[in-house]
Amino acid sequence: MAGTLRLGFDVGGTFTDGVLMRDREVLAKAKALTTEDVTTGIINALDELLKSSGVNPAEIGMVSLGTTHTTNAIIERRNLNKVGIFRLAAPATTAIPPLTGWPEDLKRAIGGPEFVHIIRGGSEYDGRDIAPLDEGAIAEACRKMKGKVDSVAITGVFSPIIPKHEERAAEIVRDVLGDEVHITLSHRIATISLLERENSAILNASVITVMRRAVESLKEAVKERGINAPLFIVQNDGSVMSADYAVDYPIFTVASGPAASVRGAVYLSGIEDGVVVDIGGTSTDVAYIVKGFPRESSITVTIGGVKTNIRCPDLLSIALGGGTIVKHKGEEVVALGPESVGYNLVRLGKAFGGPLLTVHDVAVAKGVLTERLDVFKTDFVTHPEKIEALPKRLVENAWAAIKATLEEAIDKMKTTAEPVPAIFIGGGALVVPREGIAGVSKVLSPEHFEVGGAVGTTIAEIGAYAEGVVDLEREDREEAIARVIEQAKDNAAAAGAIRETVEVMDIEEIPFTYMPGKREKIRVRVKGKIFA
Amino acid sequence: MGVREILAEWGVKEFRVIDKAAIQEITLGASILATGGGGDPEIGLLWAYKVLDEGKGIIMVDPTDVPDEIQVASPACLGAALVLTEKPPSSEVINLAMRRLERYLGRSIQATIPIECGGVNSPVAYAAAGEFGVPVIDVDGMNRAFPELQMTSWVTHGVHASPTVSVDDRGNVTVIDTGEDDLLAESLARRAAMAYGGISWIATYPMTGKEVKEASILNSQSIAWAVGKAVMRARREHLDPIAELLRSLREERGVEGFRVFKGKIVDIRREFGSETTKGFTLGKVIMEGIDEHRGHTAELDFQNEWLILRIDGEVRCLPPDLIAILDSETGEPIRTDIMKYGYRGTIVLIPAHERMRTPKGIELFGPRHFGYDLDYVPVEELNA
Repeated sequence: MAGTLRLGFDVGGTFTDGVLMRDREVLAKAKALTTEDVTTGIINALDELLKSSGVNPAEIGMVSLGTTHTTNAIIERRNLNKVGIFRLAAPATTAIPPLTGWPEDLKRAIGGPEFVHIIRGGSEYDGRDIAPLDEGAIAEACRKMKGKVDSVAITGVFSPIIPKHEERAAEIVRDVLGDEVHITLSHRIATISLLERENSAILNASVITVMRRAVESLKEAVKERGINAPLFIVQNDGSVMSADYAVDYPIFTVASGPAASVRGAVYLSGIEDGVVVDIGGTSTDVAYIVKGFPRESSITVTIGGVKTNIRCPDLLSIALGGGTIVKHKGEEVVALGPESVGYNLVRLGKAFGGPLLTVHDVAVAKGVLTERLDVFKTDFVTHPEKIEALPKRLVENAWAAIKATLEEAIDKMKTTAEPVPAIFIGGGALVVPREGIAGVSKVLSPEHFEVGGAVGTTIAEIGAYAEGVVDLEREDREEAIARVIEQAKDNAAAAGAIRETVEVMDIEEIPFTYMPGKREKIRVRVKGKIFA
Repeated sequence: MGVREILAEWGVKEFRVIDKAAIQEITLGASILATGGGGDPEIGLLWAYKVLDEGKGIIMVDPTDVPDEIQVASPACLGAALVLTEKPPSSEVINLAMRRLERYLGRSIQATIPIECGGVNSPVAYAAAGEFGVPVIDVDGMNRAFPELQMTSWVTHGVHASPTVSVDDRGNVTVIDTGEDDLLAESLARRAAMAYGGISWIATYPMTGKEVKEASILNSQSIAWAVGKAVMRARREHLDPIAELLRSLREERGVEGFRVFKGKIVDIRREFGSETTKGFTLGKVIMEGIDEHRGHTAELDFQNEWLILRIDGEVRCLPPDLIAILDSETGEPIRTDIMKYGYRGTIVLIPAHERMRTPKGIELFGPRHFGYDLDYVPVEELNA
């Protein structure tokens, strides 16, 4: 390993943040404007960090980033691959063919129905074939696709439990189309629920080239600057994966940014279980963290208009931020937002001589803001007389309303009745009540919280999971769980973790309904270290 | 013969054309009335959309317009909901089941009747009608969801599930004819589904138009539709979805529902199926009250559907009356198969339809049938 310093970048909508870390110490911070190609913004932040810190590039041992390359490409339908789509399922599933419910423009951008095939094959839950795999039909379809598709997505019924048909189909595709056509197998992407998993696999296949180019140009930029360190990308659960792994699984980066912020909050505060409250100018995201990772969302995640079952952090967004407008009739508060003055706070807020009462102004009136934050260019108040003129009752009422809104959001995300610690981060972290929050044992805002996302990318931990179905009448429960744990550890190792360091985070058992017997699905999450 | 020809033959002039918006509203309403069961609507909805996209019309008729002598049957999915999400059907399954039932009966089937209100079987009934080219009649057999084939108003009014045809995607066919023994029909149909691979597609409850009128929950589709419409409107206009839902029940069914509790799930105890439970998921959920219900505790027993509600130890709802837990902001129902610790919702209780409350009905799907030593007391009396 080249060195012990770690570089981390977090690509946001407006700014790309960068940090240089030694252990838990932030050596340098940088902010660069996010560019349309994303990569240039990262390189600009990188150059600023190297310049301001003056460190020897050879000392850098890890470079990591939370990125929006994949999400942007899908949302903007830009630079997407043409995808050959195979579903191994016939005669089942024909009532709902692939791409059903997709937006028309996205369908066209990936090549449309011309490359869609429902092939005889796939498995029943108990391991029987729905039909023997129709290998000839796959080869035939590939010959017609040759030269027309950049990548292929293969989805077989019950492949998360029985992947053999997907794997055999991949061999045939590779034989006919060669190594230059990338293959995505659905069972490596997501879990049970055919249509969502198929959508996830197809989307993954559509952004292979986007991610590959991003990784290649970043690797090159890093190398040119004398840094000889591996590149990692933040995945949706907030852990990282090696860039070489990420080029095969770009879809695992769609929630990269918010996940990195949560992880940064955890890392900077040292709190592993509790809530993270990320307060911005217009909204607040609340996440619940368990053993240092954000809890996962249990509902389907829509990406670019397509329903997927990609695992993403469970975030609750509420319309409360520093710029949120406090609507009032006299001294009574009517509503908080949802409108916000956003970055116009310095023109429209009372504290700056403007006409509107905002959450920021209430905080100033309450006297909780005493100094300006580094990230803001202006002082926190320029017109103190306007604040002094506010009726005391109104200020108290508004403060109580803000507190109640925060408390409700925190309570919604909490899964325990016990009070838990809360980490407040983001530019608005200091403008909301912090004392006596219901359900919260203490409120912290660690140093450097304004670049928490970038810090969050530098935590050298890799997360992975695996699933299996077990019939408890036939198989021992403990043995079944052990089998799934081993699979999860293998998956973590494949993503770049040192296998010996991989530990189990949680084990979930989900019973099958409307089915006799004692069948259940077992899901295991693990995490492991990149460095020994 | 197509659906329009059938309507012409019956002399029906008024009917409702079901479009995508309608199917969405009906399915949402049905999912709410499904009392925590009935499965994920996604597959059925997408299938119905595809049927409409292919230009196959879906048309609903009022039961009073259905001739007495015609033959109808109920198309449905029977099996494990989880398997369905992984293995959507072949577009041929319903046609196959219906044709084989026609062959067995020696009569052609001229309309479909939805079996229940549920996320899966409601939209499936419409998709099936479109695929098979016949109208849907505005009725069903429960106006809620229940886990077993025989738990219908049809059985309590003397109509039987047999003969039932059960098929799979590969074209395998099982004909079940157990005469008046509906429990045996359920047992055989369940076993066929398991043998196929967890899911079966059935054409069941063949009956005449006259029987439809005498034994069904009449206009149950309109009720589900009104409920779905009301909740969708509440979402659009930022109204209280629970209040709108209760209003729609008052207007469409003339019944009063009860908003009894608002809380958060703090404990889920699941038990696995066994011989005595016939393989269904059962368990208990504890909710702690929030807002005006702070300090109170709700306890719900479930067997696929919500079954019994107790608040602070007092029984407030018993089967066949309906329990729905709805997201307080969106009105989206919380199902027993996807609920999680931390979910917040409002509990709404709805009286079961009178055709589900006959003595025979209470015997077949009242508290004692589900293993409780409790006499059925109507929800109106428990919440007076």
